[in-house]
Amino acid sequence: MNSIIITIIQGLLVLGIAPFAMGLVRKFKALMQGRKGAYPTLPYFTYATMMKKEMVISKSTSWVFRVVPFVVLGTTVFLALVLPLVGMGGVLAPYADFIVVSAVLAIGAVFLVLGGLDSASAFGGMGSAREMTISSLVEPVMIVTLTAFALVAGTTNIDGMLGMHPVLTLSFLSLILVCLAENARYPVDNPATHLELTMVHEAMVLEYSGPYLAMLEYASALKLTVLSLLAANMLFPSMMLSTSVWVYQGMVVPTILLSGLIAVVMTVVKVVVMMFLLALLESSIAKMRFYRMQEYLSIAFFIALAGLVIVLINLV
Amino acid sequence: MDITLLIQNGIIVSLIGTVFAGLIGLLFNNATGRVLSYSLLAFVNAIGAVASFLFLTGKESVSVIGTIPFGFDVMFRLDILSSIFLLIVTTISALCAMYAIVYVAKYEKVYHLPSLAMATALFIFGMQSVLLSMNIAGFMVSWEIMSVASFFLVMADKEKASIKAALFYLVMTHLGAGALFAGFFLLSNGKLLADLSSLAVTAQALPPTSAILALLLFLFGFGSKAGLVPFHVWLPEAHPQAPSHISALMSGVMLKVAVYGFLRIISAFPMMPSWFGILVMVLGLLSAVFGVLYAVIETDIKRTLAYSSIENIGLIFTMIGLALYAFNNQQPMLGELCLITAVFHSVVHAVFKSGLFLTAGAIVSETHSRSLEAMGGLAKRMPILSGSFLILALSAAALPPFGVFYGEWVFLQSVVGAFFVVATNPVFTGLLIAALAGFAFVGGLAIFAMVKLFAIACLGEPRTEQAAHAKDAKGLLLTPIIILTGLIVLFGAFAPNLLSILRADGLVETQGVSPMILVPSGGSVTPMFLMGLLILCVGLVWSLRRLFSNVKNERPYHTWDCGQPITSGMEYTATAFSAPIRFFFRLVLRAKKTVIATPLLATNPWIAKRTMVVETNTIFSQYMYEPIGKGMIWLSEKVRKIQNGSIQLYLALIFITLIVALMIAL
Repeated sequence: MNSIIITIIQGLLVLGIAPFAMGLVRKFKALMQGRKGAYPTLPYFTYATMMKKEMVISKSTSWVFRVVPFVVLGTTVFLALVLPLVGMGGVLAPYADFIVVSAVLAIGAVFLVLGGLDSASAFGGMGSAREMTISSLVEPVMIVTLTAFALVAGTTNIDGMLGMHPVLTLSFLSLILVCLAENARYPVDNPATHLELTMVHEAMVLEYSGPYLAMLEYASALKLTVLSLLAANMLFPSMMLSTSVWVYQGMVVPTILLSGLIAVVMTVVKVVVMMFLLALLESSIAKMRFYRMQEYLSIAFFIALAGLVIVLINLV
Repeated sequence: MDITLLIQNGIIVSLIGTVFAGLIGLLFNNATGRVLSYSLLAFVNAIGAVASFLFLTGKESVSVIGTIPFGFDVMFRLDILSSIFLLIVTTISALCAMYAIVYVAKYEKVYHLPSLAMATALFIFGMQSVLLSMNIAGFMVSWEIMSVASFFLVMADKEKASIKAALFYLVMTHLGAGALFAGFFLLSNGKLLADLSSLAVTAQALPPTSAILALLLFLFGFGSKAGLVPFHVWLPEAHPQAPSHISALMSGVMLKVAVYGFLRIISAFPMMPSWFGILVMVLGLLSAVFGVLYAVIETDIKRTLAYSSIENIGLIFTMIGLALYAFNNQQPMLGELCLITAVFHSVVHAVFKSGLFLTAGAIVSETHSRSLEAMGGLAKRMPILSGSFLILALSAAALPPFGVFYGEWVFLQSVVGAFFVVATNPVFTGLLIAALAGFAFVGGLAIFAMVKLFAIACLGEPRTEQAAHAKDAKGLLLTPIIILTGLIVLFGAFAPNLLSILRADGLVETQGVSPMILVPSGGSVTPMFLMGLLILCVGLVWSLRRLFSNVKNERPYHTWDCGQPITSGMEYTATAFSAPIRFFFRLVLRAKKTVIATPLLATNPWIAKRTMVVETNTIFSQYMYEPIGKGMIWLSEKVRKIQNGSIQLYLALIFITLIVALMIAL
């Protein structure tokens, strides 16, 4: 029962806070660049407006184009439900095996790519080719990185991996690199551009409009929230909801309320801090040229391998 | 009726019926004969599939099918290992034969249909009897029937490229067969009628050097048939040239027969050096990496699939190599898991790869070109076929919730688990890291290759007139593809059950591993629930969208075109799509891009007609096969000098040969 409540609280909170996170990072970036910026709550209104708008569907597209938004958002919702973001030990936590998680992330990427190619425009193709390259080369980095975490934790389930250990420093670094690439942020992609030479994610969703666009934008906000909360929890797993602290000296209900409240507040704090750090990073570095992405990806891969070796040496 | 007798009769019917079906096809050169021949072929193979399935689910571990008398003593026998592979062979053969009924009729002018039918039947018969025959002579004869029949099938369309590919294939396959013969000779002390199960005994009596030589010969023999790098060069040439249902059989099934042979032989070597496992694993990883890189950059639909077969065979051999090393280093648990996942991957690969080849055949029969650049827009024109294609491609990319994912998942899980056990052994740890990183790397790029295959063929606007008028496959052309798609989805839902049906625990001599192990991280995770959860999440999104917005509120319009009409020439092609990978891995791939500019105006050199050619050369054909070929030609030139036509010289040569042979023998 407790584990079901944890999953429900987490699902509602993460799904609800995702647009806010997206608005927040934009606001922080604007402030750092000396602009005033929009309210962080703007994405809620943007998505709501888009849901009401008429859709324009390209005549070149097929049934694949219409499947894409559902699968992309569906897989992201899956991640928001199974990963340990607000609480540990949720009812769906057994499915947070790191190989499953990286494969589900890949499904989302694959369908985005298909959507980009289905409109027969060169922009979509360009974004798709780039996204496919990045995500297919990020996948091995992710698996090697999380293997290091798994070896320290003694389980392949991400739910049991939270908590930092000094030997994992390099692995944590490569995890950050993976998260940046997966979310199409700097230095891999520029989320604010619509310039064909630089865009990756935006190029793929160019032909989408109305509710479908809202779903895809929401999916990318959700993915950003999920992965930044995951990274934050790897560092600070304390004060999360868990099944163990619920009954305290026979006082069941107040404990639930209290620990639930603490976890919710902590989650919001984590989101704010992570978005601030992301905005700081994006304001201080430049985007890499796409054809230099091999450097980024191979550096990430070798950091991940080095992290794994360090963990293995420590294991002996 | 007794179930054992039922199984025996079923398999005998399938063997004899296959040949009989071929004869019907050969003798009756008309539409009725053709339909009858392929229907019979499909029917008897279905019986064979049911029989081997019954055997697998039954309790017996060995069943004697029959012996061929007249002093040959060729014994036909079924055990667990061969029945798993026989199940693959008969199932896929039945579906391919069903597909062929309609498919070959489309190519009446290209192929000589009666001989095609006979060669197909002999090919299938050869594969069945390789799996069933349990002594060396029977094994080798069946192996040759399989090889020679497939040689004729590769050159079925009698085009220049096909004949070249077929001859290359013939040379490679016979080098392999020669190596197998030599290996068997060493292993059995020259007794060619020895039973395969007796080899384990004779192998122990061998001196270590001959045992190692025999192992290497078998690795080359089976590896060259399976398409292991660096003996793979014939595969991407030969497989695509055959008719599509034959490509499906060659890639999906024939390669698995080679895997079967390798598994059968290595079980005869209880003591093998540790480095042999490493060698197998290194060759496997090399094949996987090379196969997947070329699958990414290839623009021919069937060649992409052939390269993907090299990749998958590489993954299977990596698992086998790691298993061998683990058995040698007192890690039987890891060894068994690797072996089980290797067999599991063989089964699922057979299903999705033949499905993809049949799909490719159905597409090519409409677009009349194998080049992906001549396709596009097929999802709109062939909705049902492209739906199957998408599922098969996603499963080939090892994504959940389809079958292939679970094999790789279990393999990676056992590798991660093994780190704890072998942490003190640096070589073992290194191998595990290589396996993990290799699988992850290949897995990522396999997604790329499969997405490219589906997206460029099916999405966007058609690039040619033929593609624009493509019609959806239907009837008997579509049914086998739908069945294979259904199988791969079922494998996804019932992966653990499949393993218990396969009785994979019977594969290895040591105590059985419970198939429960296939349920990673505790009993609460089941593949079926994962599939359900994914579908549930997508369904949730779907219903929320219906709830919150008006579904009807949309209008069709053309793609945003910057004010200039958009044409299919502006779409991304397969070449363009894979350009980043070609660039990132340019050291390995060595693709050469040449832009030829012919100026149109004398006054302005910038106004020119430009054509671009991308050439890809494999390192292996460039640095290994071409020098060998040149050396052979050089040697032949030298040898020609003594062939001057004089009888006396030939007699003298025969005499000298005789004396030298006697000197060596005595």
